[in-house]
Amino acid sequence: MGMWATARRMASTTRSASSAALTFELVGKCSTTRARASILTLPHGQVNLPIFMPVATQASLKGLTPEQLEATGCRLCLNNTYHLGLKPGQEVLDAVGGAHKFQGWSHNLLTDSGGFQMVSLLKLANVTEEGVRFLSPHDGSPMLLTPEHSMSLQNSIGSDIMMQLDDVLVTTHPDKARMREAMERSVRWLDRCIAAHKYPERQNLFCIIQGGLDLEMRRECCREMVARDTPGIAIGGLSGGEAKDDFCKVVATCTEQLPELKPRYVMGIGYPEDLVVSVALGADMFDCVWPTRTARFGNAITKNGVLNMKREMYAADFGPIEEGCGCQCCRPADQQGSLGITRAFIHHNAAKETVAAHLLTLHNVWYQLNLMRQAREAIIADRFPAFVNEFFGGLYPDGQSYPSWAVNALRGVGIDLLEG
Amino acid sequence: MTVDIEAQEPESTAMRFEILSSALKEGTSATARIGRLAFPGRRPIDTPNFIAVTSRGTLPHVTPDNISKHLQVSGAYFSLEDFVEKSQQNLSRPPPIFSAPTSTTHPTPLHSFTGTPSHITTLLAARRLPAVPSPIGNSTKSISIFTNTGFQNLSTTEYLSAISTLQPDISIPLADLTNNTTATPTSKRALRMAERTDEWIVDWFSSPLSPSTTTFAPVLPIPYPIQWEYLSRLAEDYLPSHQLSGLAIHDPDILPDLSTHQSSLLSLPLLSLSNPSNPHQILRHISLGIDLSLPNFKTAVSPLSEGCSCYACASHHRAYVHHLLQAREMLGWTLLQVHNHAVLSQFFSGIQTTIKNGTFERERINFSRVYDPEMPAGVGERPRARGYQYMSQGGEENAGKKRNKPAWRELGPTAEGETPVEEVPETTQTPVQVPEGDGAKELQEKGLGEVVKE
Ligand SMILES: [Zn+2]
Ligand SMILES: [Zn+2]
Repeated sequence: MGMWATARRMASTTRSASSAALTFELVGKCSTTRARASILTLPHGQVNLPIFMPVATQASLKGLTPEQLEATGCRLCLNNTYHLGLKPGQEVLDAVGGAHKFQGWSHNLLTDSGGFQMVSLLKLANVTEEGVRFLSPHDGSPMLLTPEHSMSLQNSIGSDIMMQLDDVLVTTHPDKARMREAMERSVRWLDRCIAAHKYPERQNLFCIIQGGLDLEMRRECCREMVARDTPGIAIGGLSGGEAKDDFCKVVATCTEQLPELKPRYVMGIGYPEDLVVSVALGADMFDCVWPTRTARFGNAITKNGVLNMKREMYAADFGPIEEGCGCQCCRPADQQGSLGITRAFIHHNAAKETVAAHLLTLHNVWYQLNLMRQAREAIIADRFPAFVNEFFGGLYPDGQSYPSWAVNALRGVGIDLLEG
Repeated sequence: MTVDIEAQEPESTAMRFEILSSALKEGTSATARIGRLAFPGRRPIDTPNFIAVTSRGTLPHVTPDNISKHLQVSGAYFSLEDFVEKSQQNLSRPPPIFSAPTSTTHPTPLHSFTGTPSHITTLLAARRLPAVPSPIGNSTKSISIFTNTGFQNLSTTEYLSAISTLQPDISIPLADLTNNTTATPTSKRALRMAERTDEWIVDWFSSPLSPSTTTFAPVLPIPYPIQWEYLSRLAEDYLPSHQLSGLAIHDPDILPDLSTHQSSLLSLPLLSLSNPSNPHQILRHISLGIDLSLPNFKTAVSPLSEGCSCYACASHHRAYVHHLLQAREMLGWTLLQVHNHAVLSQFFSGIQTTIKNGTFERERINFSRVYDPEMPAGVGERPRARGYQYMSQGGEENAGKKRNKPAWRELGPTAEGETPVEEVPETTQTPVQVPEGDGAKELQEKGLGEVVKE
């Protein structure tokens, strides 16, 4: 066993691949699971993978200044194209010179295509081969968002990673023919996005794998998308509606087929368990609004689960939000930059003053970034399985009630949670 | 030998206030003056200056790291009523703030509980500013306060005990006030206000206080002749005994009378509790001798300006701040707060300079000629007195509920060749935002698709 591990580790000497605006360097692989550690170099600097990317929907992260976001260690965050298109709009973005300058963020940005936000408006949009058709709010005139519009807007935003417009369906969609149509259309739209993309030398366009829960369709989509050789690859359509077992199967099926030297981004997930399992399945990048959104409801993400600071039990608790956390709120008072924030103060102001939400946001973002940092260190030291066990042990201290989807998914890549 | 004497001086445990110069030669007349107020362990405050008003222990929208990094604020006003609400789940639990532990970075329970940086001078009073008038009224030994869970009584002894536990740098003893800003109290009521406040101050000064807490005695918003006994007690008993460290003046218009009848009190730092709502009022109060002001925040809203060197203006596009306010992003409030505090700091440092140069009165008159005392209704007004502008009710389950009425409507029957799009459940994805007032043309101009010609 030890010898095999060593041999495998030797085989995985550093390798890298570059495209015009991106370099992906693999620096470590877990000898048990499919977890990988890598360095992604983007136009606005280097980021370490695996990574969690906070979502600054409207060019700001829920009350944090860009300076505060930077202080959490974040070097890559999201903006939503749909929202920036509405406010401030393409003209302002062009005039200011893009979203980085607009929001005073000198690090990397990733934008979605804007399509998902349209489609989320329930039955308010229809998809045609041309693009997403929708009615304009208020005056009701019919409108169309095409792959070309999406690229043009994302080019104006200037994001370091831009996403193709895709035909998104819920994974649980019952109509297999419609699912196939969406998958194939997404491939055709990728071609249109590639053709419309004005700045491939300074912005990276990622494709999005579709195909619902149909693993064969996912494989087929992988083949088609990979053949188009985008600098990075996203796995799309997994936004929480499906069973977790199905989610894991889709991620595992895709990562198995994706080229090793390209970043793999699973869109829209953010629960800590989902992140850790997805890393074990070979994914590198994640985004989600949940950590910042839940902060506004008084929830702190910790290694022992989510704690609601509004509960009476925290009213006179003068400990940090999370013992041992290194964020500005929690780090010990004698350390540089410590704010000495207590659970009692968060309790006092949760849902009453925005400052409590801002402080919890600082903590939650730090938690997510740090979780991925720890996973990365564990992969490089080839002790990732031990890290996974510790992580689940923290959430389920009885060592029993692990969620079966996590047990199954991890067993598939060589970790048995129940054996510890 | 001088060195030795200085080293022995117990200056580290005492407040120091020096009047450096005043617009008139004699320092005891009611007139604008500059000075320096210093508490041990806190950043000295050059006066005239302002003290920031907190809500529930925090400067609204500004986290403590940003206070330290981006604001020049050196004092903060706290109200006890923000901390002593009865817990509905646990009626017997004492307010947690009283057991807050201290450390070198948070040297008092008040600093510690609120995460206030140690360089900030703290001022604790019973009521918020402005205070909500109580329908119950005060009694001989207590006042009525308004907490997050409703009105409750605060007795003079409870208040004293809170002050000695929390150790604010400045404490303001209870005053018998109506907190009615529209009607002046009848002379009978005013007399009772003076009598009760006088009784309470005697109790106050006969009780042991923490040596690090100073007392700024309230001066009531009633005519001098009605409270002269109370004020002469302050001047004759508590000024010589050094128990009185300052005055907390509800209506600065009393200052000329004080100057005439009790001029010795004017050697103290003078804090105005009048919560001025425009710069003209601030200037007038300063012309009467006020050293510290508690401006109402609507005052300071001024457009982000080219010349401003605050963090908001220096690091961000005006277009960005505009966008944040338009998009109702919380960061917009934060940046406005940073800017507004910077504007106030600049305003007060300008005042200090003109007093020093002897041009204060002239400049003040110029200012009132040039600027309209009615400030424009600004966008920077705080969202709510006690609160949180978003989703104050409900929990996470309400998160998806839209604040605005939906502006999107159904596309109608599916046309030939079109595929209906299924509902995507809103789970972990960014909540959909419904735009307001944007016509299709505008969307098209913004790059969000194109208008389809039928
Ligand atoms: Zn923390
Ligand atoms: Zn400014």
